[in-house]
Amino acid sequence: MQEDFTYVVLADDDEDDRLFFVEAFDELKIQTKVDVYKDGLELMDALNHPDAVLPNILFLDLNMPKKSGIECLIEIKSNKKFKDIAIAIYSTSASEEDIEDTFVQGANIYIKKPSDFNDLKKILSDVVTINWQYHTNALDKDNFLLRL
Amino acid sequence: MNLPLKFIARSERFLKIIFGASLFIVLVMGGVAYKYIKELSKSIDDVQHNYQVHIALERMASALKDAESGKRGFMISRDSTYLEPLLVSSSAFDNSLKDLEELTKNNPEQQKNIAELKIKVDKNIEIFQKTLELSTSNDFDSPEFIAAFREGRQTMNSVRFKINQMTAHENDVLSLAREISSKRLSNAPMLVYYVLILSLLILLLTYLQITKNLKILKEKNELLETFKKSTIQSEIISKHGNWIWHIEENIYEYSDNLYRLLGEEPQSFDPNLDNYLSFVHPDDVEKLMEHVEEMMENEDLPFIHYRIIQKNGAIKHFKAYAKLLVDSDGHKRLLGTTADITNEIENYRLIEKRNLELERSNKELSSFNYVASHDLQEPLRKIQTFLSRLEDKEKDKLSNSGKLYIERIKSSSSRMRSLIDDLLQFSRTNKSEEAFEESNLNILLETAKHDLAEIIGDKRARITSDSMPSMKVIPFQIKQLFLNLLSNSLKYSRENTPPAITITYSLTNASDLPKIKYSKFNTYHTITVQDNGIGFDQEYAEKIFILFNRLHNKNEYSGTGIGLSICKKIVDNHNGYITAVGDTNTGSTFTVYLPKT
Amino acid sequence: MKVFIKFDFAQFCSKVLDEKLCELGIKYRMLNFGELEFLEPVSADQMKAFETVLNDYGIEKIENQKVILVQKIKDTIVDMVFNANESIAVKSSVYLADKLGHSYGYLSNLFSEVTYTSIENFIILQRIEYAKSLITNTDLSLTEIAFRLQYSSVAHLSTQFKNTTGITPTTFQRIIAKRRALKNNKD
Repeated sequence: MQEDFTYVVLADDDEDDRLFFVEAFDELKIQTKVDVYKDGLELMDALNHPDAVLPNILFLDLNMPKKSGIECLIEIKSNKKFKDIAIAIYSTSASEEDIEDTFVQGANIYIKKPSDFNDLKKILSDVVTINWQYHTNALDKDNFLLRL
Repeated sequence: MNLPLKFIARSERFLKIIFGASLFIVLVMGGVAYKYIKELSKSIDDVQHNYQVHIALERMASALKDAESGKRGFMISRDSTYLEPLLVSSSAFDNSLKDLEELTKNNPEQQKNIAELKIKVDKNIEIFQKTLELSTSNDFDSPEFIAAFREGRQTMNSVRFKINQMTAHENDVLSLAREISSKRLSNAPMLVYYVLILSLLILLLTYLQITKNLKILKEKNELLETFKKSTIQSEIISKHGNWIWHIEENIYEYSDNLYRLLGEEPQSFDPNLDNYLSFVHPDDVEKLMEHVEEMMENEDLPFIHYRIIQKNGAIKHFKAYAKLLVDSDGHKRLLGTTADITNEIENYRLIEKRNLELERSNKELSSFNYVASHDLQEPLRKIQTFLSRLEDKEKDKLSNSGKLYIERIKSSSSRMRSLIDDLLQFSRTNKSEEAFEESNLNILLETAKHDLAEIIGDKRARITSDSMPSMKVIPFQIKQLFLNLLSNSLKYSRENTPPAITITYSLTNASDLPKIKYSKFNTYHTITVQDNGIGFDQEYAEKIFILFNRLHNKNEYSGTGIGLSICKKIVDNHNGYITAVGDTNTGSTFTVYLPKT
Repeated sequence: MKVFIKFDFAQFCSKVLDEKLCELGIKYRMLNFGELEFLEPVSADQMKAFETVLNDYGIEKIENQKVILVQKIKDTIVDMVFNANESIAVKSSVYLADKLGHSYGYLSNLFSEVTYTSIENFIILQRIEYAKSLITNTDLSLTEIAFRLQYSSVAHLSTQFKNTTGITPTTFQRIIAKRRALKNNKD
């Protein structure tokens, strides 16, 4: 068996961050499909579309106009349709309150945006690998908490 | 103070009892004396009575003798004048008998004797008459006469005997009565004496008691006087006045200082409600009246607050309180205290205002700090990321000086990053009670060591630590404390000497800590972090905890000057203390004292 | 006359697979080319039919020994971690080599090749997962959990937990408790 192909979605209002994100996955040798959205509203519209293909991992920036990451998180967690999506918070903030709060609300991964591109690549690759491990080894997804 | 008063109340009751008892005793004594006097006069009467009976009996006997001798004289002389006493004695006889009867009407035996006597006397007189008749006929030798004469003599004797008997009986009665009364009367002086002694004793006791009470009362009075003076003094100093409302009479009493609080001369107007209300601030009159009505209804006044206006226009804030007092006679009075709290209110408002300002500026400061550092991170992170992209992808195309510039930009931006990180850390290191939880300090230390694993490995540092107990702390802050202290020791290590850091734990009594003289905690957890680094001059031991204070040029060592300030803030948050001892080129020791709760 | 045709071999194969598997009533998903995933358990008869039908088109099931062995390694590790009650005295490397009849070096290489992670990592992952499930489902204290998972100390467990998940066991415990409280509030 080889690596599964992973569908990854990012919602971030920062153009540079979206660029880093896409470039990092491009350079990683993991089979992935990446989609990006400019804000929470755009993301939720896409997810709620009846024909939407749901991502394996959803990366959410916390600080977004129109609809914040935490609002998206709560909305997604309250909808059974999205229960299989692993949610990664992707934020500049590393305050303990923010981190704990998002975990409590149901996030699986918390990533503090790194300031080095190679670190970013490493982190994203780790996320995909661990998510895949959870997927392939039938681990309890409720216990899937990861902070990078 | 209560005790002597109680004692007096008790002794008052005691005195009442004593008074009652002595009244009773005196009455009893009077009664007894009266009875004795009565008895004495009765015994005198008895004697007199006895004497009269004697006289009567004597008289009777002599009358009888007179009659007898008269009879004999007549018989001898035939002179009828001898018969005169006979006639007299007969009536005297009757009189005496009548007297006797009267005298002895209470004595049944004597009555009986008198009746017998009467019969005997009558018979005697009869015989007497008979013999007299016989003698008149000169029939002296007739047997009749002789018989009558003999009979006369016999009855005469029996009368005499009876009289003697009666006299003897009367003597007996008298001596019996004498005996009884003398026996009784002999006890009387003794009894009177005893009662007198007892009365004197009671009197003495009462006197002692009263003197004692008087003494106590005097002391009380002096105390009251002092108390009154100190009350007046305290009224003036603490700006309050007292008032009394006599509920039944609906009369008010105001203390001098209450007048002064209103800006008036003491007792310069009648203490009544209307006069008082004229001082109250118009806006508060209604409220105060409600309270007063409630007070009259409930006979109680909880804390109330109102304003008054003095004649000179000054507005003062008053606080009043009253409580019901029922004295021992059942009179109800409401004791009130009114205090001028204008200064307190003004101070309180000032403090409140300053607090609000402080709170606001604190909030502004910390949110400025947070926002500044947080928002600064964003562009900086991008600069760094783009730099890393540039380095990875375009480095080969750059000239040597270009590469050097990139290096310089990298080091500047990473310094900026650590500054921002530390500032953020500092502004986040706040105290919140909920964050405190029972934590295993050993684990927190391990976590800190783990965060530093890389640099520990690079520097081949050796870290040893005592086992520490669990305590109630803000876990992530204590971890940060360990992290900062360890990284401080690692950072300021001597060149070519692998850092050796020793962490020890002990308990210290607050009294042994000179800096913590007036602590509310008795014992302190004491954690020391000792290293063999470059140390510092003890002169700077206090300075190193101040924000942005660095002892070294930033090119030599990479510190931001925030790390130890964070340590201090963390320890402050835990009500603890941190001290530093340094010795240049030997090492430094940081000691953290956390209160044992 | 000569005609040149161009055919997409992959598309052709996919089409054939799709038709045949539908006939057999097997639900599946195409992973990468040459790799299928059955979405439902497949009986031995179905498997046999699947193999014969596809043989006609020159399509053949590859019995990948390596993948099977890796699965066996994983199963053994899971069993070893979750049933540690009868404490395994030997080192996990010795235990695996004994159980699976291959040298540890061979197993280790194979595992990394197929899964891109090491056996050691996988064991740690499993141990931490077990610790998580104990935290979530039992009232055991961290000390007891560390003991049961044969860690030398709570600190050791904490460090490895933090290394693997980025958070401390205490934080994990708190998050789970808060999640439950939140859920209860919602219900």
